Amino acid sequence: MTSQPSPVSTVETTTNRLSTADLITVGVFAALYFVMVCVATLVSTLFTGGFGSIFLPAIAALISGPVFMLLAARLGKFGGITVMGLVIGLFLFVSGHFALSFVASLVFPLAADLIARAGRYRGRTSLLVSYVVFSYGLTGPILPLWFMKDAYVASLEARGKDAAYIEGVFAHINAGTFVVSMAAILVCALLGGWFGQRLMRKHFAKAGIA
Amino acid sequence: MRTAATAPTSRRDGRSLDPRAKLYLLLLANLMLFFHVGLATQATMIALFLAPMLVAGRVRMAARFAVLYAAMTALGLLDPDALGVPQLHVVSALAVGASMMLPCFATGAYAFTTTSASAFVCAMRRMRVPEAVVVPCVVIIRFFPTILEDYRRIREAMALRGIATGAFAWVRHPARSLEYVVVPLLMNATNVAQDLSVAALTKGLGRDGVHTSRTTIRMRAADWLAMAACTLPLALDAAGVI
Repeated sequence: MTSQPSPVSTVETTTNRLSTADLITVGVFAALYFVMVCVATLVSTLFTGGFGSIFLPAIAALISGPVFMLLAARLGKFGGITVMGLVIGLFLFVSGHFALSFVASLVFPLAADLIARAGRYRGRTSLLVSYVVFSYGLTGPILPLWFMKDAYVASLEARGKDAAYIEGVFAHINAGTFVVSMAAILVCALLGGWFGQRLMRKHFAKAGIA
Repeated sequence: MRTAATAPTSRRDGRSLDPRAKLYLLLLANLMLFFHVGLATQATMIALFLAPMLVAGRVRMAARFAVLYAAMTALGLLDPDALGVPQLHVVSALAVGASMMLPCFATGAYAFTTTSASAFVCAMRRMRVPEAVVVPCVVIIRFFPTILEDYRRIREAMALRGIATGAFAWVRHPARSLEYVVVPLLMNATNVAQDLSVAALTKGLGRDGVHTSRTTIRMRAADWLAMAACTLPLALDAAGVI
């Protein structure tokens, strides 16, 4: 647990491209983040039953703040956050999630990376904003809710229900849950990011790891 | 005659599809969401997706998916108004949604459980995925079991000190429990990252150029056949024939 600066990481702080050692660091943190996502899936499914992953991004945002903050502090260069989001998107796709989740997990982490870079991966506010944006990268898995809606509407129409009736069925299922789940991500990401930064100051800064 | 120890692995490798074919099946399952396929097509596709599972010897998994799909389809066909319970629309909608997502989960489960890490990496390299994506993927597969092991050790250490023991500790002190678990995990992760870097660089992961692989993957007739067979119903449905 001693914090010796590794010979590997001192060499390439001079360059800005991601070296193989950096990529391995990203991989290790991405694995931890993936575990967090799995835990969030489990908890979300327990709480919301059939809706499954609707609060998945929010719960993941709540618990994975420390992982994100430590990665940003350890790496401190552009690309790490993007690659982490991208790889998680790939794993979600391979484990059977919706392909569009891939787009979300590319765009949002990229934006988050740019924001964090604006603060040189040190600024507390920019990192917090970056984390909030990053958390929206997980909205991919819940996007099928809209496709499900279309499918159900189609199946209702096939059974001869009129449009007004269909609207009534979905009035309180869809718009409300969408807003709630998006707002939950914002609140949870702020809380989780703050928690992560607090842990960083409390544990890792002293140990010289961050 | 082969020994019992070697038989299962060689049989599994021989009878599961090429990783690229699996990826293609995953894509098809996703495309089904876009096209809003009809019930007949959906059932056909599910049957086609479950067939490779049976070939790979995952009979129980295939049976579970088949039963689940049948149940979800039956629930989705319910007419809540005919039964006089409008609240059932929620159940019905969820069932339709679940049966739409099922092809994705079925192909995903198949890809996840029948692909070895080295075959996955080999496939990614063959598809010219950049190293920036390949290396983290390798590390994730390698590091995943370590995390679970670490977690068990951390819980043991916590139990030894009488911290946050019992099932309700997570409910009573969520933030504190999270801190006690996450901080050692992260501390260890930073160490493992350094160790892995040294080990991997020694083995030449950082070198430029083409890397060779001990595992070879090859598209065989069965792979092309599976891809064609699964494309057909979707294409016919999209063209409006079915």
